[in-house]
Amino acid sequence: MATAHYSTFDRLRLPAYDNQKQMQTGDLLFDREKCKECGVCVQLCPGGCLLADTATKMDLISGKAKGGKYGVPHVVTMRSGATLCIACYDCGAACPHGAISIKRNFNPGYHFKRLTQTSEMRYPKRY
Amino acid sequence: MNVKYEELSPLGTYEEGMPWNPVEKIIVERRSIRSFKKEPLPDSMIRRILEAGRFAPSAGNSQPWRFIVVKSREILAEMEKDAIRVIKFFMFFLDYTTGNRVRRIIARFYAAVLIRILPNELHPVPFGLMSQIAQGKTPVFHAAPILILLVEDRRGVSNPPMDIGICGQNMVLAAHSLGAGACWIGLIKVLMYLPKWRKKFGIKYPYKLDVCLAMGWQKPKADGPVPREAQVVEWYDKGLNDPPRTTKQGE
Ligand SMILES: Cc1cc2nc3c(=O)[nH]c(=O)nc-3n(C[C@H](O)[C@H](O)[C@H](O)COP(=O)(O)O)c2cc1C
Ligand code: SF4
Ligand code: SF4
Repeated sequence: MATAHYSTFDRLRLPAYDNQKQMQTGDLLFDREKCKECGVCVQLCPGGCLLADTATKMDLISGKAKGGKYGVPHVVTMRSGATLCIACYDCGAACPHGAISIKRNFNPGYHFKRLTQTSEMRYPKRY
Repeated sequence: MNVKYEELSPLGTYEEGMPWNPVEKIIVERRSIRSFKKEPLPDSMIRRILEAGRFAPSAGNSQPWRFIVVKSREILAEMEKDAIRVIKFFMFFLDYTTGNRVRRIIARFYAAVLIRILPNELHPVPFGLMSQIAQGKTPVFHAAPILILLVEDRRGVSNPPMDIGICGQNMVLAAHSLGAGACWIGLIKVLMYLPKWRKKFGIKYPYKLDVCLAMGWQKPKADGPVPREAQVVEWYDKGLNDPPRTTKQGE
């Protein structure tokens, strides 16, 4: 079977949500050449897990951050190295300059681990 | 990347490798929209979108849904405020990923118990989202000018939540095809802990409210294709005792 193995141990154990060793959280690559530092991605990330140098998601929504360049964004990393990125790529779909790509997909461990999804990210394919 | 497929195939035909038809294009380029213009969609357009819901399939044609459209800015603001309040309350006990050490150790204990009781509601994704909401880093309803509440009638045939999902997605796709945007919001569930909102929307037996759609004009336009995990698919296309052949969907 090509699907991942799910043992009783997996089933019973919860991953520590902030531990990158037990939870593979998403990560992105920002192309510094292409990025125009517009902040669109920071504003759109569902969990507010992107940060630019001079603007947070809430600054951008509330209009506190006005115009200008906010710096090349990055994915916020917790102390443990985990992020809150779920690799939905809603940021990348909206980026006007195609500056974002996925470096690592999201796959919570143990009880929640993905079984039929592989770690290869593929665009919609016209079969 | 903003890959756009400009040429379209006609509806009702298929040839291998042909461009998307308009329906497929809407399906693959639909993204959850979480940033909207302030003004709502015109009422006629909302009614057109509701029509896509009314004509969704349902088990035994039982149509186990009731639609509530919320456009009042006052009510929307109050819903946001109360949802944040409930989430803050829960996260105070559960969020072991933030705060000082003592707090984290105690919260970790509660979380370990409650995640096992509510593994879906407290899956790492909504847990992380609620942690961020409690810290004021992201909103619940994304300041949408319209919410369509999908109220489930629990007396439906077989498995009514399934019908709710199908019905809602019909409306989401209709909205995107008309140039608007939508996002499913499961977190509306937290409002059901407050009698005030159950009463306001009349959520008592046989009704249940687990999900709603945030809707409006996209600002900025955020639809577009995304990469997703290639996925293992099993095909049983040989004999009764033959193992399935597997393919990787997306590869
Ligand atoms: C039943 C359901 C509930 C959801 N609840 C929320 C929610 O509460 N908040 C949110 O921001 N997104 C919510 N979403 C949107 C998902 O996060 C989104 O569909 C997923 O990340 C994939 O991204 P895409 O829709 O842009 O392809 C929900 C989606 C579904 C289907
Ligand atoms: S949306 Fe694209 S261009 Fe704008 S800040 Fe994000 S990565 Fe840079
Ligand atoms: S992929 Fe999704 S979760 Fe990750 S940073 Fe982009 S919008 Fe946020």
